[in-house]
Amino acid sequence: MSQTIALLIDAYRLLNARKIFWITLVLSLLVVSSFALVGIHDHGISIAWWDLEIPELNTGSGGWSKELFYKIMFTELGIKIWLAWVATILGLITTASIFPEFVTAGSIDIILSKPIGRFRLFFTKYLTGLLFVILQVSVFTGASFIVIGIRGGVWEPGIFIAIPLVVLFFSYLFSVCAVLGVITRSTIASLLLTILFWFIIFIVQSAERSLLFFEMMNEQRVMAYEDAVDRTRQRLDKVEDPDDMERWGFLHETLDKRKAILEESESTAGNLDTWHDGLMFVMTVLPKTGETIELLQRWTIDLAELPGSTDEPSRPIIDDDDHFRLDEDRLGQDMQTALRNRSPWWILGTSFIFELVVLCFGAWRFNRRDF
Amino acid sequence: MHRLLSFASLYSPMSTNGNVIDVHDVHKTFKKRIKALQGVDLQVGAGEIFGLLGPNGAGKSTLVKILMTVVRPDRISGTFLGNSVGSKQPLARVGYLPEHHNFPGYLTGLQVIEFSGAMCRLTKRERRTNARRLLDRVGMTRWGSSRLNSYSKGMLQRVGLAQALVNDPKVVLLDEPTDGVDPVGRREIRDLLLELRDEGHTIFLNSHLLSELEMVCDRVAIMVQGRVSMQGTIEELTRDSRRHEVRCIGPCPDWITALPDATAECLEDECRISIPTDDVEAIQPIIDRLRKEGRSITRVHAVRESPEDLFMRAVVDESGTIAAPGAEIKPRRGSGGDAP
Ligand SMILES: Nc1ncnc2c1ncn2[C@@H]1O[C@H](COP(=O)(O)OP(=O)(O)OP(=O)(O)O)[C@@H](O)[C@H]1O
Ligand SMILES: [Mg+2]
Repeated sequence: MSQTIALLIDAYRLLNARKIFWITLVLSLLVVSSFALVGIHDHGISIAWWDLEIPELNTGSGGWSKELFYKIMFTELGIKIWLAWVATILGLITTASIFPEFVTAGSIDIILSKPIGRFRLFFTKYLTGLLFVILQVSVFTGASFIVIGIRGGVWEPGIFIAIPLVVLFFSYLFSVCAVLGVITRSTIASLLLTILFWFIIFIVQSAERSLLFFEMMNEQRVMAYEDAVDRTRQRLDKVEDPDDMERWGFLHETLDKRKAILEESESTAGNLDTWHDGLMFVMTVLPKTGETIELLQRWTIDLAELPGSTDEPSRPIIDDDDHFRLDEDRLGQDMQTALRNRSPWWILGTSFIFELVVLCFGAWRFNRRDF
Repeated sequence: MHRLLSFASLYSPMSTNGNVIDVHDVHKTFKKRIKALQGVDLQVGAGEIFGLLGPNGAGKSTLVKILMTVVRPDRISGTFLGNSVGSKQPLARVGYLPEHHNFPGYLTGLQVIEFSGAMCRLTKRERRTNARRLLDRVGMTRWGSSRLNSYSKGMLQRVGLAQALVNDPKVVLLDEPTDGVDPVGRREIRDLLLELRDEGHTIFLNSHLLSELEMVCDRVAIMVQGRVSMQGTIEELTRDSRRHEVRCIGPCPDWITALPDATAECLEDECRISIPTDDVEAIQPIIDRLRKEGRSITRVHAVRESPEDLFMRAVVDESGTIAAPGAEIKPRRGSGGDAP
């Protein structure tokens, strides 16, 4: 126990000695206080002394509540942009050197010569390395809690779920960074490779989202063309002499054309599906950084709360000029629902397994090598 | 009987022969090519200052690192403080100062020592008091709460020494502790080592500085290219090479060659006779005879091999070539000019 505490204190001293840690903390507080400067009223929003009239964003006809406004600001700007993006890069810069410095000749000798097993040393060092993000996100969330409470009028303890979620998110990246640090012994190499890895995850995630989007769009197309084919058929059924090609040939033509497009769309759906399944498999293996962060919004904000989300779903249509008209609202909602329907167990569980595998590999390497 | 055994094991944590370090057949090859250790045998007794000597790259640091579980040996047998080498258990009673140590610069001297104590599972109070006492002992009291990045090399070495002693270790392994320390500091460290020995600590010292080792070490071993070539007290190691020298005026007497192992050498107008014995009585007849011949004797003295000569003797092999620095390296397959 005294060893663990000593390692923890050491980690704190390391952070304390880094200017960038304090800079990040101050920036975090600035971000939160800028939230406090933003207000919402019945015809728009105010930023410090300026009033902006925004028809869609107010507590009047726009249908927003103060509480929702601040919560969205917290999850979308505070967590998604600031913590999970800017502060994470600052965090990686700060912590990337922990393991390379830990294993440099002359310093690793001292620590390895103590009565503590190498596995325990590795995992303890890793966990204390997460201190950076734990402190940052706790301060940020605590301050946000106060701002939402005072300015939004709601004391929402639910937002504290951000602490474990952001820590978990950061730990996916930090595990990769730590293991690369042990293997390469170079801060720059491990930092760059980690950011590259993050970028790859981001690409895979974006590709998956795009495919999902196309899939849903295609679904609407299939639906619209099914309707259109039905309509054409009904029209043909209603006429007295449907085989009179001279009179109804154009209807047959339209029907054939629409059937052809329907078939094509259906086969596209199959293709998209295969690709999407493939990407989902890759996603399952990789840590899900984006989705982990999105769990926060999912757990703190109900979709029904969002203004304009109560519309009845309509159907996409093929208009009389044979143009496919997408139902964008529905597409957006379907996407949201599909994403929200992904099991948190899948999101967190598979990411955690990834992290564990990476760490075990790192611990094994650390345990085996000579210093 | 059973009681007696447990009693005995309580009071002799070391192996039965009183050796704190007793290792045999230590082998280590780095990267499949660099044979750093090739069958080292080494015994260090309790309560002595033991010096390990050797040219650069002989494998001294590697051996210490193996004892401290920093490097894994390919093969080893024997014990370290009664436990098998590689086990973490004895390390709570061991102090270690690595060569080229590198403590984080953001820590203060006190923090370094206390951290080391915490890792050896000392209580908070023990760490505090030990750290202050040791800082005082290495003469760094005034610098205790300054950060390491403001220290000089010798100051770092002193703090390093203090952190190695924080757990009141039975054995202290020091890899070139006087590296970068000024002559006054060296002397202080030497005195400290002697004090430590008198308090009952065993000290294992790696060094190149022969004169220094000679001054403090009870026993030394000389390591060359991954093997221990000599081991014993300096007295023992130099015994065979001790001789007496007699100088007299005039040419060399021809009867000298008849004496076993004695040699004579003519200098300008002097003759130098060398007799390989450390027994004063044994040379008296020679002096008598020289006097009878009417020669003036200018000097009679006992000659002892200097540690440097001893070292050179260890490093030079039978064929007279000096061992190159570094470990033996197995040539890469396919490289080298003399491939068929
Ligand atoms: N981590 C390592 N990887 C590869 N080779 C190593 C490693 N550590 C040591 N060696 C090699 O092992 C040999 C012995 O090195 P070691 O540091 O033990 O020598 P030394 O006797 O302490 O030398 P010095 O007096 O210069 O400190 C050297 O040839 C060195 O190149
Ligand atoms: Mg060395």
